[in-house]
Amino acid sequence: MSTVARDVGTRLRRLLAILTWLAQVGETPIEEAAARFGLEPDALVAELEMAACCGLPPYTPDQLMEIVVTDTTVSAHLGEMLARPRRLSAREGFALAASGRALLAVPGSDENGALSRALAKLDRALGGKSMVIELDDPTMLGVVRSALESGNQLQIEYYSASSDEVSSRRIDPLRLFAGDGHWYVDAHCYKAGDERRFRVDRIQAAEILGGVASEPREAPEGAAYEPFVPGPDIRTVRLALDPSVAWVVESIPAVTPPEQTGDRIEVDVAVGGDAWLKRLLLRLGSAAQVVGPPEAASLLGDAAGQILDRYRRSLPG
Amino acid sequence: MERLDRLERVTDLLLVLLDTPQPLSLREIANRIPGYPSGRDARRQAFERDKRLLRDEGVPLLVEAIGGEEQLGYRVDPGHYYLPDLGLDPEEQAALNLAVAGVHLGDPSGVDALSKLGATGESPLRPLVDTPLVDLPSVEALPALPGLFEAVRLSATATFEYRGAPRQVDPAGLRFRGGHWYLVAFDRDRAEGRTFRVDRVTSTPSVGPPGSAELPPGFDAESAFSAEPWRFGAGDVVAVDVLIDPVEAGRVVAELGSGAVTERRTSGAIVVRLSVTDMGALVTWVLGLLDHGEVLGPPEARAAVIDRLESLIGAGEGSGGAT
Repeated sequence: MSTVARDVGTRLRRLLAILTWLAQVGETPIEEAAARFGLEPDALVAELEMAACCGLPPYTPDQLMEIVVTDTTVSAHLGEMLARPRRLSAREGFALAASGRALLAVPGSDENGALSRALAKLDRALGGKSMVIELDDPTMLGVVRSALESGNQLQIEYYSASSDEVSSRRIDPLRLFAGDGHWYVDAHCYKAGDERRFRVDRIQAAEILGGVASEPREAPEGAAYEPFVPGPDIRTVRLALDPSVAWVVESIPAVTPPEQTGDRIEVDVAVGGDAWLKRLLLRLGSAAQVVGPPEAASLLGDAAGQILDRYRRSLPG
Repeated sequence: MERLDRLERVTDLLLVLLDTPQPLSLREIANRIPGYPSGRDARRQAFERDKRLLRDEGVPLLVEAIGGEEQLGYRVDPGHYYLPDLGLDPEEQAALNLAVAGVHLGDPSGVDALSKLGATGESPLRPLVDTPLVDLPSVEALPALPGLFEAVRLSATATFEYRGAPRQVDPAGLRFRGGHWYLVAFDRDRAEGRTFRVDRVTSTPSVGPPGSAELPPGFDAESAFSAEPWRFGAGDVVAVDVLIDPVEAGRVVAELGSGAVTERRTSGAIVVRLSVTDMGALVTWVLGLLDHGEVLGPPEARAAVIDRLESLIGAGEGSGGAT
C-alpha cells in the first residue's frame, strides 16, 4: 500500500465520506476521487475493495455493496443506507457556522442575502444560532475597499506601531483580509519600493488618487495570513524569559527555537522596530530581560521614562 | 476467510446496527458479523472497543434494556445518524461554498461539511478576488472549540479544565472578538455568568446529554460577555478614564467600540471610560499605547500606572549589564 493505513477511526470516517460521495457523483476517474480524499490511487482502490466485502448478513451478493473498479474509474451502487450523507461532525458543523458568520461579519455584507438564509436553515436543522463573530469596522475600511475594487492608488497617512511614526505613503492596494480580528491591506508601497502590510485601523487618513494601480492584482494563495511579515529592516534581539511568560514564545516572531538557560528561557526575536520591542518589554516587566545586543538593553528604561514624563508634565484630571 | 482488517468488522457493525429496528444483544451481533473472537470475555472486549470507536466518530449508538439473559441491546438511531434535509436552494448552497472558500480555519472540515451538503462535482472552491478574506484562528490550535460548539448547539452542559481548575458550565454562546474565541456560560460553582477564553481551556470538554444545560431565567449572554482583560478580575468595578492621542484613537475605537468614548477633542484625541476590575491588566493595556495614552483618573488608577513605570525603570537599570 502506498499510503500508510492510519487509525481505524480515521479510515472509517474517510470510507463513509468516499462512499457517500461516490453514490452522489456516479462513475468517477480514480485519480480524481483519490485526490479529493488525499489518497494515492492504489490506496483508494484497496480501501474500496475492502468495503466491497462489507454489507448485511447473510453477505450474499445482493446484500454487499456494489463497487465497480475499472482501470481508470470507480463507481458505487449503494443502498440508501450509505448513500445518504451523515450528520455533520462537531468540527464540520463548527466550520460551516463559523465560515458563514465570519463572512457575514464583514462590514457591508447583506444581512438578508442568500448566506443569511442558508445559515438560518442550518441553525433550524442543527442548532448553533448562539455564535457571534465580530470583526473590526475601522473608519478607513470603506475607502480602502473602494480603491481595491476600482484598481486605484491610495494616498495614506499611516501610523506605524513598530517605528512609532506617522508617515505619508502612496500605495497600490493588492489585497484585503481580516486576521486575528483586525483588517490588513497588502499593498505595493512607493515609499518603501516594495510590498508592505498595513493595518487598516492604523491608517489615519486616506484619499483615492486618480492613478491606476500599476501592480496586477493577484488572487491570494490559500495559505493563512500572518499579521507579521518580516521586512528588510529586521534585527535580532535576544531575550531571557521567566518560565511564567513562556507563552510569549508562541505569540512573537521568534527566529530560533527557544533554549533553556538555567531557570530562564532564551530566545532570539525578530524586531521590526524599537517601538514594538518597547511594548513587549513594558508588558512583560521583570519577567523578561534583554540579553543583547547592548544598545537594546536600555530600551525598557527609555520607554518607561518617556511615558513617565507625560504623567509628570500633566496634572491629574 | 481470515479477517485481518478491523475496519471491515467495524463497517459491518455500523451497517447491522443501522439496519436493525430492534436493539441487538452482543450475542446476536457476533452471530451476524464475522470477526469477533469466540471467547466470551475477548468478544466483549473487542465489541467495547468497536463501540467506543463508533461513538468517537460521532455515531449515535444507543444502549437499551432488552429482556433475556444479556439484558443490554444495541442499535444506531438513524434519525440522529443522517443529516436532515436542509432544503438549501442553489443560491444558498453557492453562498456557503463562497464562505468556506473565503474563510481560513486551518482545517478541511468546512469542505467536508460542504460535500455532505451536496457540493459535489464542482471545480475546486476558490474565493472571489473582490471578496475580502477572513482568517480565523486555526481549529488545530484550539482543540476545545468544536466540543464547546457542540455543547452550545445541543444546549448541553460542558465540563472542562480552565487555567488548571475544573469548571462545570451551562453554555450560552460562542463569540469571536479581537482575534480570540470566547465561551459565554453560566458557571455552576460560582453561580454567575462568566466569559472563558477558549485558548485557555486546557482539556477536551466533556459534553453532557442534549438539553442538560439550564440557564437561569433571564440570563443574558450579551451582558455576561466581557473580552477586555481588565474585566477578568474579582475586584470592585472602578470607572477609569483614559486619554488617547489621535494616532491611536482609530484603533482603540475599533477595539472597544464607540460606546466607550466619552469625549472627542478637536485635536482628534478621545477619552474612553473603562469598567475595571483588574487594575494590573488595565495598566498593561495602557502601556501598550506607549506615550500616546494617559490615565486621567481616578487618582488610584494614575498611581498604579506611575508605580509600574517606576518599577520598570528600576528593572531596566538592573539588566543593563547583562551582556
